Amino acid sequence: MKKILIILCFLLFITGCTSNKHYNGVVNVLNWSSYIPDEVISSFEKEYNIKVNYGTYSSNEELLAKVTSSKEGTYDVVFPSDYMVELMIEKGIIQPLDKTKLSNYHNINPIFLNQEYDKNNNYSLPFLSTIVVIAYNKDNIKDNIEGYNDLLNEKYKNNIVVLDDQRIVIGLSLMALGYDMNETDINKLQEAENWLKNLKNNTKAYDSDSPKTFFITDEVDLGIMWSAEAILAQEKNNNIEIVYPKEGHAISMDNYTILKGTKNKDNAYLFIDYLMRDDVSQKIIDEYPYISPNKNISNSIDLNDIFNNGYYVKNIGESIKNYDKLWANIK
Amino acid sequence: MKNKVLKRIVLFPIIAYALLLILLPLVYILFLSFCQNDSYGGMIYHFTLSNYLSIFDITYIGILLKSSLIGLVTTFLCICISYPFALVLRERSKNVQNLMTKLIMIPFLTNSLIRTYGWIVLLRKNGVINSALIGTGLIHEPLGLMYNNLGIIIGMTYTLLPFMMLPVCSATFKIDNNLIEAAKDLGAKPLSIFKNIIIPETLPGVFNGSLMVFMPAIGYFFISDILGGGKAMIIGNLIKNQFLTARNWPFGAAISMFLLIITFLLIYIYRKLGGKLDDLGGM
Repeated sequence: MKKILIILCFLLFITGCTSNKHYNGVVNVLNWSSYIPDEVISSFEKEYNIKVNYGTYSSNEELLAKVTSSKEGTYDVVFPSDYMVELMIEKGIIQPLDKTKLSNYHNINPIFLNQEYDKNNNYSLPFLSTIVVIAYNKDNIKDNIEGYNDLLNEKYKNNIVVLDDQRIVIGLSLMALGYDMNETDINKLQEAENWLKNLKNNTKAYDSDSPKTFFITDEVDLGIMWSAEAILAQEKNNNIEIVYPKEGHAISMDNYTILKGTKNKDNAYLFIDYLMRDDVSQKIIDEYPYISPNKNISNSIDLNDIFNNGYYVKNIGESIKNYDKLWANIK
Repeated sequence: MKNKVLKRIVLFPIIAYALLLILLPLVYILFLSFCQNDSYGGMIYHFTLSNYLSIFDITYIGILLKSSLIGLVTTFLCICISYPFALVLRERSKNVQNLMTKLIMIPFLTNSLIRTYGWIVLLRKNGVINSALIGTGLIHEPLGLMYNNLGIIIGMTYTLLPFMMLPVCSATFKIDNNLIEAAKDLGAKPLSIFKNIIIPETLPGVFNGSLMVFMPAIGYFFISDILGGGKAMIIGNLIKNQFLTARNWPFGAAISMFLLIITFLLIYIYRKLGGKLDDLGGM
């Protein structure tokens, strides 16, 4: 008798766990981690009565691996960056976007459209963007910092935090030398390697996850980091100055895309349209200070600064192996 | 008869688990390591040995050597800490032994990533250790305890210590007291007891521990990333990069298999030197 009771209780517990509110539909979203506040997702679920299955990834390559290794239709909306959009179009993973289904399409500032990785925005629309900047603590650094080459000064030994991102960091060393950010010439890459070895002498740590922490704990006075991180560091410490490197900076743009074979196309459009709304965009920016393409929102960074001297990471084919080796040599 | 059936039923999930979650992925990795990759990160199912050949590039050999050095130092430190501990604990009662080994285990039930982050609070420039040392006037400039190789070694030694501690303890506790008594009766000095009885009896435990410390020490990329500031690339980082940034899964798979081959090689050498495989399982 006791056993039966226990089993009954257990079964009740299980049904208690699985019985859910009834939704009208679902949308399967895969996005970067720490990118959309939970509140934004739950408001969407309430408003449209659509369940959001939300998964995250931490690199474009992880996204590609997740999408290509699972059955078509597993995910509906994903947020690849610039070069990954191009690659996904080439591989035929994402489908053309029907902009007539997006009532908030006109909120996008045209300066963000027609980027080189998807010329007419047939497949993608900008979601959020960020650039790589130099940040430094005015309290301790009295010199004038204008670009990457200023960071090689021997005074800054063990005083810099650098993004742990091989394409971006090799790219900026190439820019520092006056070359293209996506250069593949072996000799120029060799020069970049030497440049980066010099920078390493001054580097305290390579970190992509939270370089702002290094500033907040006074570990370093200089850093090469994402603008959003630099702004967060600035919020904690007013003396942090943000510099747009004169040699050029890397831009990264993450985009709304819908995967081929989606079974929830209408919900996918609803979800994208919802994120494009002014109030929702504002909520996201308030939490994570990236650069929003929404023209009704004021960004903390001048938009001309972003595009005038900004360059995207591009697909470089087999040369990626040389980059990988170069990176291994530096470390 | 009934017992045998029962045993099989109990064992089945464990065998299924091992086959499904250990053997199958391993076979897949082995398969991948012989494939070619396209620049999109896809696989071309065409047999090649080039992934294995490219390991012997000067760059990657350098990483292998650097990782091995970190691994060896970590292993050595773990032995230095575990061995005296086990010898002292051997003399204590069973209850004390149980209590102490449990006390070693308990902190390791917490996620190792979180514990590694905990070390940052202790080791950083104005962290607990540096503040205390500066506060007492022992030093004037903060010591560079992390974001260098020292940080990696501290983190690795701390994280991997139980893997050395447990086999060394169990090997030491198993030494027959009669053996030592007999040696004493025959007039053996402590040093010669140590050399002729304790060392040979505990060697399998030390070897087992060394294997379980050394192999992760060259692979735990998160420790080198967090406490080493990502400045030293160890084999683990190299493999991770192949899967996550270089989009070269076959090469990553080949390095993983290469590590497996090294492990087997070490066990083979151990057996050639007269070690028994049974002793390795002596947990």
